[in-house]
Amino acid sequence: MSKWIPLWLHKLGSPPTFYRFAGTLRPWFLALALIAGAIGLYGGLVLAPADYQQGDAYRIIFIHVPSAWMGLFIYGVMAVASFIALVWRIKLAEAVAMESAPVGAAFTFITLVTGSLWGKPMWGTWWTWDARLTSELVLLFLYLGVIGLYHAFEDRRQGARAAAFLAIIGIINVPIVHFSVNWWNTLHQGSTVRILGPSRISMDMLWPLLTMMVATKLYYVASLFGRVRVDLLELEGGKDWVRRIATGEQAPGERA
Amino acid sequence: MSRTSLAVACGAVLRRDLTLAWRSRGDIAMPVLYALIVATLFPFALGPEDALLQRIAGGVVLVTVLLAMLLALDAMFRSDIEDGSLEQLVLAPQPLALMLGMKILAHWLTTALPLIVIAPLLAGMLHLPVPVMGVLMLALLLATPMLSLLGAVLVALTAGTRRSGMLLALMLLPLCVPVVIFAAGAVAAAQQGLPWVAPIAWLGAALVLALVLAPLACAAALRIALDA
Repeated sequence: MSKWIPLWLHKLGSPPTFYRFAGTLRPWFLALALIAGAIGLYGGLVLAPADYQQGDAYRIIFIHVPSAWMGLFIYGVMAVASFIALVWRIKLAEAVAMESAPVGAAFTFITLVTGSLWGKPMWGTWWTWDARLTSELVLLFLYLGVIGLYHAFEDRRQGARAAAFLAIIGIINVPIVHFSVNWWNTLHQGSTVRILGPSRISMDMLWPLLTMMVATKLYYVASLFGRVRVDLLELEGGKDWVRRIATGEQAPGERA
Repeated sequence: MSRTSLAVACGAVLRRDLTLAWRSRGDIAMPVLYALIVATLFPFALGPEDALLQRIAGGVVLVTVLLAMLLALDAMFRSDIEDGSLEQLVLAPQPLALMLGMKILAHWLTTALPLIVIAPLLAGMLHLPVPVMGVLMLALLLATPMLSLLGAVLVALTAGTRRSGMLLALMLLPLCVPVVIFAAGAVAAAQQGLPWVAPIAWLGAALVLALVLAPLACAAALRIALDA
């Protein structure tokens, strides 16, 4: 038993095994993500009471905050996978790191868009140079830099290694940017805008929020599995197992 | 390896890069001219009111210098990759990080130093008060090596690609946000008569950190980019 788990993880690192594994699990993750998302949105948009201060406009929180969490979470996943890719040169880790980047960038973009949609009725402006907003924007630029560098190379694996290096430099920068932007903001004027503030959130609002958080996590896994599968097929284009899949032959060890 | 041979190698790399830069003196003048022209555009774009220009002068000079350095960064390893001398440097017995540190120093001397020299002129054109000038120079002296070091790491990462100009901007600008904030913060504080030592101290601390880590990161990045 104690030997079985490391062996299984080791096998999972090989592209064909992961391809099958991800293919089997992906529909389940996607279905669970859709169910959790539907429950969370119903709870947030219909069941939860209106905010005493913001009325119904606060309900965008159920999209905005889970996306913001995912933006940072995926950057962390990308950096860890990048580190693994650089140190042990595992092909799968490279694919996970590079295919996480567009998903993370998308969540960061959603955060910025929903934030500005929320900001217009609440603060009367689409955008303000607030510390949180600015660091979120810099995070998006970091993601775009990683994606851009990855696609600048003709050799995919070389591009993945270079972009992985950039992702690691970026994660050192994320806290630095966060604190320096805070500092910069307080020098000029106190940050008057608070998204939630220290106010305690009521249980009726908390559970849809947490459900949406779970839904976005599940969606990320499903999306990542799909992207990595395609990435592995492209990367391993000339290999035997890919040819078997392309010609519709049974791969060894796969039961129909 | 003896200490003298290391010093000789460092000196040789530095002298070679400076000689090459001196042979094409026109290229050194380009970032300076670029900065002059960009700084001139601001009064045209914003209107020539003294009070407004005075308020933005520090920030404009900093961003202008940053953009001028960004333009020059792309060429840092370009000719060395084309003629193969960078591979020789990688294969040399001397530590690559140290050799690259010398190249970064040479680049800073030929690109950033001329910009720092004309910075008072740029700031003067925008009516920056004379007492603040010293703080601006100090901020530039600490900020420009940071940009050179950070930029060198990113240029090394893109060394294996064909065209990297725009990509370099996309990668460098998020990383140098803190540098700009602290450098401009010091100038703004000095302008308002507030204490400006704290942001300068932060810049200095960051520079020390970058001096130690950036050449190592640059060497690692170059090894990634070159081993195709």
